[in-house]
Amino acid sequence: MNLRTVVDGASTDILSVANLPVLWICALGVFAVIVVQTVIYVRAARVAAPAAGMSPGELRTSFRAGAVSAVGPSLAVALVAVALLTVFGTPAVLVRIGLIGSVSFETGAASIAAGTMGADLGGPTYTQDVFAVAFMAMSLGGAMWMLATLIFTPLLKRGDVNLRKVNPAVMTIVPGAALLGAFFALGLGELPKSGNHVVAFLASAAAMAVCLGVAKVLRRRWIREWALGFAILTALVVTYFTVGAGLFPVA
Amino acid sequence: MTSVNPSASALRDFDATTARWGRLTMIAGLLFALAGPTYLVFFSGLEVDQAKIWTALLAIAGTFGVLWFVEPLTYYPILGQASMYQAFMIGNISNKLLPSALIAQSAIGAKPGTRRGELAAVMAIGGAAMVHLISLLVFVGFLGSWLVSVVPAEIIAVVQTYILPSVLGAVLVQAIVSTRNLRVTVIAGVVAASVVFLLVPAVPTLAFFGTAIAVISTAVLAWFLRDRSAASPSQPVPEREEEPARD
Repeated sequence: MNLRTVVDGASTDILSVANLPVLWICALGVFAVIVVQTVIYVRAARVAAPAAGMSPGELRTSFRAGAVSAVGPSLAVALVAVALLTVFGTPAVLVRIGLIGSVSFETGAASIAAGTMGADLGGPTYTQDVFAVAFMAMSLGGAMWMLATLIFTPLLKRGDVNLRKVNPAVMTIVPGAALLGAFFALGLGELPKSGNHVVAFLASAAAMAVCLGVAKVLRRRWIREWALGFAILTALVVTYFTVGAGLFPVA
Repeated sequence: MTSVNPSASALRDFDATTARWGRLTMIAGLLFALAGPTYLVFFSGLEVDQAKIWTALLAIAGTFGVLWFVEPLTYYPILGQASMYQAFMIGNISNKLLPSALIAQSAIGAKPGTRRGELAAVMAIGGAAMVHLISLLVFVGFLGSWLVSVVPAEIIAVVQTYILPSVLGAVLVQAIVSTRNLRVTVIAGVVAASVVFLLVPAVPTLAFFGTAIAVISTAVLAWFLRDRSAASPSQPVPEREEEPARD
């Protein structure tokens, strides 16, 4: 395929640039780095195990227990990631939503980035230019978490940063308030766009509330893990029918 | 202070190896993660205006900036040095990695905070990472891409147009439930509604930073209106079951 015909900043054909081979190579690079890290860590743990009073059998048990307990959450993340493939393309979804970031931060960041260009994610204003800026901005935003980890971890290990000196109220109230402020503003910002947006938002919120309620009553952790995926699917199905029925003028 | 105790030196080696390679692999992961969008912005022929990127990043910083610092500080006491470099690259810390580590520790009867607990966590996160990579490659990389290619265009259009409200409705409920703080929830709701429905329509130029304005106002108000009587200074680490921004 000729790149010249595919790349056009004003085109809304996001997927032709979002799935460029270079982006796939970079995404697989992140996969490879995690594999390398895991191999190095497992070897280091094997060498250190006798000194920590751990048998090779216990090391194997730990690895297997971690792997088995990750199956459910991993599949739940995969379901959510598939729903976002049409918006960000496979490589960006694999790296940002599957690995380093998370659904809520990355979609929030991308939406904010699109907003600064006067565009909406996924709408008729969502051009290749907007996608490129949103992808770059959310990647830089995600990079800040890794930079903070790289800077703070050695300091915390040496004891230079004493967490007990930080007012605990700051550590609980401010992050919680920032999270709620962000997702209230992002969520409510969807409502004026169209009646179908309102339907999608309310269906999603209701489905999540039901899932969390059922999970609490039945004490089933897996329901909570899958709640986001269920809620997104429910909202999309409901919205598909309201769009098809023409209940509201299309955005 | 050179110790002749072989087990102490073996554990020091473990710390040194995981610190050095943890850092190096995380930097490599960071570079690969930035290389994709950098290529798209600068070398694909899109000719994107750089100023737009910095504006977007500034708006994101105003919204999520506080979490960049708070989350690493929050998770360090739970994860320890070695696993920090795993967790913040692999992602899904609170909903996948922490449960995996805890289950592994209880499977071999190791306590968190001990050396056995630390090694069990490193192994468990390694196991979880391998499962996660395989499931992402198979279900998202192959099956997901195939699914998108066969689904009718009209369904793709609905998904693209309405995915954002479909994600945000659920995420907001999750954030409210996991924060478990009615006072902050009410403050955030009122502030965000005022920004979205009153301030932005009145002053459209503020729309760029509407979310950041809502976040900063909510944080400041929540701080000054906090419940001082219920202040419990003994609370060491805010342990939440779900971490909506960055699971």
